[in-house]
Amino acid sequence: MAQDASRARAARSSARRTSAAHASQPKSKAQLTSQLSQALPVLGIDDVPAKMGTPVITLEHVTKVYPAQPNRPALSDVSLQIYAGEFLFLVGHSGSGKSTFIKLLTRELKPTQGHIYVADEDLSSMRNWRVPYLRRNIGCVFQDFKLLPNKTVFENVAFALEVIGKSKHVVKTQVPEVLRLVGLQEKLNKKPDQLSGGEQQRVSIARAIVNRPPLLICDEPTGNLDPQTSRGIMDLLERINRTGTTVLVATHDREMVDNMRRRVIALDRGHLTRDQDRGVYGFDV
Amino acid sequence: MSSIGYFFKESLQGFVRNLSTALGSIVTIFLSLLIIGIFLVGGSMIERLMSSVESEVSITCYVADDAPDAKIQQVMGTINGMSDVQSVGFTSKDQALENFRNSMTANPEILDQLDGNNPLPASIDVELTNPQSVSSVAAAIQADPIYGQICEDPNDVGDSIKYGQGTVERLFQITNYVRYIGIALIAILIFIALVFINNTIRLAILARRKEIAIMRLVGASNGFIRGPFLMEGALHALIGSLLAILVIQLLRMFAIPALQNAIRFLDFSISDSTYLFIYAMLVIFGLLIGLVGSMFAMRRYLKV
Repeated sequence: MAQDASRARAARSSARRTSAAHASQPKSKAQLTSQLSQALPVLGIDDVPAKMGTPVITLEHVTKVYPAQPNRPALSDVSLQIYAGEFLFLVGHSGSGKSTFIKLLTRELKPTQGHIYVADEDLSSMRNWRVPYLRRNIGCVFQDFKLLPNKTVFENVAFALEVIGKSKHVVKTQVPEVLRLVGLQEKLNKKPDQLSGGEQQRVSIARAIVNRPPLLICDEPTGNLDPQTSRGIMDLLERINRTGTTVLVATHDREMVDNMRRRVIALDRGHLTRDQDRGVYGFDV
Repeated sequence: MSSIGYFFKESLQGFVRNLSTALGSIVTIFLSLLIIGIFLVGGSMIERLMSSVESEVSITCYVADDAPDAKIQQVMGTINGMSDVQSVGFTSKDQALENFRNSMTANPEILDQLDGNNPLPASIDVELTNPQSVSSVAAAIQADPIYGQICEDPNDVGDSIKYGQGTVERLFQITNYVRYIGIALIAILIFIALVFINNTIRLAILARRKEIAIMRLVGASNGFIRGPFLMEGALHALIGSLLAILVIQLLRMFAIPALQNAIRFLDFSISDSTYLFIYAMLVIFGLLIGLVGSMFAMRRYLKV
């Protein structure tokens, strides 16, 4: 019961954070160090967070057509809602529009038709200069990690804070904290090429969540990893989800989707073919 | 403020990473600024020279052919007694023809047309100590009654007295041409400098495209992403302009005194404040070129 209440609170607060964009930075040192660890409950048997409140992401009849392929839309008339605190999988074959979907959410692309609302803000009419502030509220993790090879683990994570103008103090307290969270507290000074693939992905996740975004988007986060390491990464994402962060995972990993039984959104050649709570991968590959 | 330090660090890195192209853009900025600077210095010298030429004119008073020597001597004495007059000389008709012949060596056929006649008048030449009083001395000569009798046209005495505004106007014309050529040269050089800076910044952007991608990903503001590149362009421009200033300063210290020694009758000195003004102009101009160049590059190669 108490856990439910705290989750609801976390979800609400994350929704609020999104709407207030960058305005709500932690004020004091005490808040700063405690918020992350407090918000992390011990892993336990838990149910799927219920859809509650207003959706944080809404797609309304979104169509995206690339100029190169005018007759074959990458996304065609997709409508769906994502609620705060959800954990959902985005599945589909290559070319089904998963990456386009993600790029639309981070506003790397604008929809050809339809509207995308993130925290009540219409991305298609968003001013360009506001886009960075949108992205500060969206953590991104990719299959190829996108780490800087000439920087250490610590510097890679710190970079994400430095370039959005966080103070040295924030960097010093927050980076070790988030690296402890992903289990890399021992490897602060290693370069990415001295780490295993799983560890590199953890660094990448640490970088994505170090600014505590309310939404975490992972584009095939386990695409390069073996099943056991993938399991570890998914555990980590699940833990992050429990802090109230909405997590969206685009994946090919049938086993993982089937095991975790979360909401599944399936895309096929640009069409939304399935939106199912506690779903399975469901493609015959 | 901390981001300024970051920009500076990053732009220095970019400088080291693409040393050869960075040097290329610095050298082109340096050369264009050097030429701009030389034109500015030369321009202010010519301006000074012209004002001194304008003021150092002598007065030529033409005398009628039949004027008696005694009256001419009398007028010369009167003029010699005027204030601000340094010397008074006399050019006879023959001397005037001789001078004319010397100045017409390029087309001697004009002399043949004279058929042995000498249409040139004799003249009294007046040199002044204080050039500012040229018009007052000329007026005094015009008012002199004896000169009125011996001048070429007694009805219009002023017409016989010449002091050369014409030379100054000709000088102006020449310097105007020089100015146009200079402006064209500067425009070409600035264009080349812009192209070079554009290229340098493009390489800097390419070298850091991974970092830029991550910066965009985590939501660094556009200004923050652009900062280092603007800084790099500005840095190149600053180095280029400082080099140009250095060279102009060296010219000022060594070349101009030598020139002054060779051509003693002209004054090449310019005041310190003019030099300071020119140097400030060069720095501002350089920064402008650098910033505009890197802005071009960013518009084309840095999507934020």
